[in-house]
Amino acid sequence: MKRDRLTALIAVTALTIAACTTAAGDTTTTGGPGATGPVGGGGSVLAAVMDRGSINCGVNNAVPGFGFVDADGNHVGFDIDFCHALAAAVFGDPDAVEFIDLTAEQRFTALQSGEIDVLIRNTTWTSSRDGTLGATFLTTTFYDGQGMMVRSDSGFTSIDDMADTTICVLSGTTTELNLATRMTGIGYTPSTFDDNGQIQAAFLEGACDGWTSDKSQLAGVRSAWPEDDGGPEALTILDETFSKEPLGPAVRDGDAQWAQIVDWVVIATIQAEEFGITQDNVNGFADTENNDIRRFLGLEITDAEGNTSVFDAGLGLPADFAAEVVAAVGNYAEIYDRNVGPDTPLGLERGVNALWTNGGLHYPPPHR
Amino acid sequence: MTAGTGHRPQHPPLWRDIRVLHALAQIVAAAAVAVVVAVLWWNLTNNLRRAGLTTDFSFLTQPLGVDIAGSGAGPGTPIWRGLLVGVKNTFALVVVGVPLLTILGVVIGVGRLSTNWLVARMCAFYVEMFRNLPPLLIIFSFFNAVVLRLPLLEDSWNPMGLAVVNNRFIAVTGFSAQPGFGVYWLIIGATLLAAVWLWVWRTRRWERTGSPHHRLAWSGGILGAVTVIAFLVLDGPVALSIPVLEGRVLEGGFRGLGSYFAVLVALVLYTASHVAEIVRGSILAVPRGQTEAANALALSPWQRLRYVILPQAMRIAIPPTISQFLNFTKNTSLAIAVGYAEITRIVFQTIGNAQPAPQLVAVLMLAYLVFSLTISAVVNILNRRLRYVTT
Repeated sequence: MKRDRLTALIAVTALTIAACTTAAGDTTTTGGPGATGPVGGGGSVLAAVMDRGSINCGVNNAVPGFGFVDADGNHVGFDIDFCHALAAAVFGDPDAVEFIDLTAEQRFTALQSGEIDVLIRNTTWTSSRDGTLGATFLTTTFYDGQGMMVRSDSGFTSIDDMADTTICVLSGTTTELNLATRMTGIGYTPSTFDDNGQIQAAFLEGACDGWTSDKSQLAGVRSAWPEDDGGPEALTILDETFSKEPLGPAVRDGDAQWAQIVDWVVIATIQAEEFGITQDNVNGFADTENNDIRRFLGLEITDAEGNTSVFDAGLGLPADFAAEVVAAVGNYAEIYDRNVGPDTPLGLERGVNALWTNGGLHYPPPHR
Repeated sequence: MTAGTGHRPQHPPLWRDIRVLHALAQIVAAAAVAVVVAVLWWNLTNNLRRAGLTTDFSFLTQPLGVDIAGSGAGPGTPIWRGLLVGVKNTFALVVVGVPLLTILGVVIGVGRLSTNWLVARMCAFYVEMFRNLPPLLIIFSFFNAVVLRLPLLEDSWNPMGLAVVNNRFIAVTGFSAQPGFGVYWLIIGATLLAAVWLWVWRTRRWERTGSPHHRLAWSGGILGAVTVIAFLVLDGPVALSIPVLEGRVLEGGFRGLGSYFAVLVALVLYTASHVAEIVRGSILAVPRGQTEAANALALSPWQRLRYVILPQAMRIAIPPTISQFLNFTKNTSLAIAVGYAEITRIVFQTIGNAQPAPQLVAVLMLAYLVFSLTISAVVNILNRRLRYVTT
């Protein structure tokens, strides 16, 4: 009798939670359950986004250079610019975005439940996230790797020196998984927090010897280190990179059209760099003879007999979406240099994030 | 069932029969609940399936992937074992915190009724301060302003050589097992049972015959004697273990992470303020005539409190105090803010590492339910023992 009541209680509570999840999910469905939309998501994300008039973009708000809220309360950063790019492609208006701040632990639940349409929050593409979280990862925007930051006066020069130390790490990230793997056989105490601010407090007070994260994030934190505590010089990022972190956007499984849209918006920024199209000169290609560029920008193509046609890749986007993207946020190089490049406080060289033509990993599939 | 218009013409028709209506109402209510449950269940499974998410619990045997501070759990540990570490860490807060907050709460609660102006004012100040702050704020403040400000590891305090205190952990002198340790504890355990039985026997005898009970001497004597004799016979089955810091490595002693102490102290202070109010209210709820009667019998203030007021106040205080124990247990989930690896932290961490959220949240709810029901059960047994016995 008592056990029956208990079982019922558990069931009801679990179901209530499930019901809430559903309610959130329904905001993105247009046809309701059983509509003819793609299997999985429950309806077309593009249609829901068009209806709503803006894109719900899940982002970070605490990593300078990537996703950060500036002094005026605006979201700025590398990831943020890709949200703007997506809005420019879909609506022709880079500001048709709602930014939704998420912690590392919240992000996939927010994606699964339909609270956000796309997750662009320095998120690493891994097999288990693809396999069990119902997420589809798209073209990588930033190739990162995990590093270790220590105080410059600590005397540590390599991770192997760091036996029996305490290391601060963000919880619910690939970072803590990689840390556990890297430190196998080296005794250490992980100190996990779910918030970079709390890690900073612990690190400032010397409660941990090392701070591990993606190197780009560490560079961001280091660049913004308070002058009262010695400024960036007080911290050193060790040379070793001990993981692969391909960071890119993710969408819910089940809506191929939406996934392709996000994919090709990212590719468009890289392609624009390869073509040499920038935010400043994007409107100056009206007379170009290069049909690759004409197709890319959605310009009319004229054949020998004077017939004209406009190339549409059938993505569900306007033919000139790439032009809108570049006009809004610039090409990949501009996005990179503006947010994280050598002239910013982060000072990150392009490295593996260069175009394939320069020995990097960015290789945009052809737009045809 | 309601037929028989012949010899009982006063019987109302079916739709006005109160018994039938009652039964119908029950059936309708049960059906409504069943429909709601069915709809929610359909919703859950359908949505999980459409989102391409798993609904089973096979993930529990997957590797955890991370290290958990202060435990042996590492990357290769299965998830279910990691969750058990979380349960153990929550338990470590509850088992230490509940006795501490009870003692502190009673002291403050009684203190607030003291005739000494300063003591009463100080206790009132304590209660008003902690009762009116959110526990998360107390935990944050205590962690950031006290625990993190303790000395660095290199400059650890080492009071009298018996403890090591820094902003990462606090280690105190403990015991370490030597050969014969298991046998020793078995003997102590058996003696403890014997001592309790002796206590009860002496008490009953005293109640029956009025001859002096000397129960402390009997029970304490036998416990002390056996402890010492067994220790000598087994040639020192336990030894003092003094914590010593060698570079960055701690040897010996009992070690608790800074985050553990932050949560423990903050929640004990917070919950004790509520318990203090319960204690004060319960004492005030004992009829004034009881105090006057005790005075008329010329009982000393201590005797009055011990034999007349507190036994009656306790009966009033126990049910609301159980709620506070449960609150304490549930509030330990706030430890997530300072990174102490209790069960909520581990569950969220595991969800963050690509494991299914609905199932893990169900596990989490189950864990807290077990905690709460266990505490309720234990205190309810105590409550039943202390009830007024009417003969």
